[in-house]
Amino acid sequence: MRNLLNFLARYNNLIIFLILEGLSFYFLASRNTYHNNRVVFAFRGLTYGFEEKITNIHNYLNLRVINKNLAAENVALKNNMERLVKGDKSLFSSVSDSVYKQQYLHMSAEVIDNSINRQKNFFMINKGIRQGVKVDMAVTSGEGVAGVVVGCSENYSIVMSLLNLDFKVSTRIKSNGYFGSLSWDGRDYKQAILSEIPQHVSVTVGDTVVTTGYSAIFPEGVMVGTVSDFKKIGGDFYKINILLGTDFKKLQFVEIIGNMKKTEQLDLQHLFQ
Amino acid sequence: MINSIFRYGLIFVLLILLQVLLFNNIQFSGYINPYIYVMFILLLPVEIPAWLMLLLSFAMGVTIDYFSGSPGVHSSATVLAGFVRPYVLRVISPRDGYESGASPSMLIYGFRWFLTYTLVIILVHHTALFYLEVFRFTDFFRTMLRVLLSSLFSIIFILLIEFYRRGK
Repeated sequence: MRNLLNFLARYNNLIIFLILEGLSFYFLASRNTYHNNRVVFAFRGLTYGFEEKITNIHNYLNLRVINKNLAAENVALKNNMERLVKGDKSLFSSVSDSVYKQQYLHMSAEVIDNSINRQKNFFMINKGIRQGVKVDMAVTSGEGVAGVVVGCSENYSIVMSLLNLDFKVSTRIKSNGYFGSLSWDGRDYKQAILSEIPQHVSVTVGDTVVTTGYSAIFPEGVMVGTVSDFKKIGGDFYKINILLGTDFKKLQFVEIIGNMKKTEQLDLQHLFQ
Repeated sequence: MINSIFRYGLIFVLLILLQVLLFNNIQFSGYINPYIYVMFILLLPVEIPAWLMLLLSFAMGVTIDYFSGSPGVHSSATVLAGFVRPYVLRVISPRDGYESGASPSMLIYGFRWFLTYTLVIILVHHTALFYLEVFRFTDFFRTMLRVLLSSLFSIIFILLIEFYRRGK
């Protein structure tokens, strides 16, 4: 007993050090549930105000670019509307149910805190549970995929950015329909890696890459980026570099997309697995 | 005693505010993220008991973790830095020892001593921090580049703050 006490007295600093490190590693290991933690939001609430102010100033200085993007998006929407309205006239359908064909809900939000220089980046948006945002909703910018919602408080949500080593999304090459998995390798905020495309497929630089609807998170056909470079690696697959459509360094306004038929899709998938 | 608790409390809060509001928003190229909050550990008195040192480092790390949304990463790196500090101080101790009750500062021990001291602690801290953040050894050398560049900038900023303190 006395030896034990002597031992503890002698190495007490080492023991405290090991306990504290153990505690830190415990936090590190359980990080996935972290962002849903209420305590975290209570603490981070302290900085919301500042971050929002900084973002406001930043947005004011970038109004010209924002206007340009909005105008471009308007034009694209008008073109779509024209096509749909004119195209539908010949069809014989009169459905009064307004959600009959609608599968996705869209909502706009503003980015109030963003980072691109970590290996696991997250950003925060100013919509939360009260506005109908839920975990696992897709987030896109006007130019491409941006991330997935991982945690919500009353009025804010945290989004796992595409620039996160844990982020994976199923995508296909638009020209030939082959699909693979897209992830970020932690190097460049403009580039991501598309893997699992077999080598007999013909790929050319500049091919468009879009999402598949397989995960029930992203809708089919959301722009991701274009092929910038590809090479054959060991095995039978290409390693394709994708130039991302979204510029994460100036991400300001994003669109949240919720899949209304997600539970149905997932239930059916679980039934046969 | 009360006076010094108040002083270090103030330093603690100021460094956290600086780090969270200013330095976390600096986003050069993705290779450079200065972490100046480690300065708190550098400035604690030489004679502080080691257990208190570790607890304070942990408190600092956890606070930064909460604000930057990276659980465990900063706290483990900071506790490590707090753990090695007494050994570093022993190895680089000046010829006539440390003054009692003083905190390590450039004013007392000179620029070269302070630079060595900062360099060692920052390198230990940043190495642990960046490798824990990535949590893998692929891209070993790229992470090392991030460690070196970020350390360089952290040290520059810490020296600037120290010069400012000396000037007052």
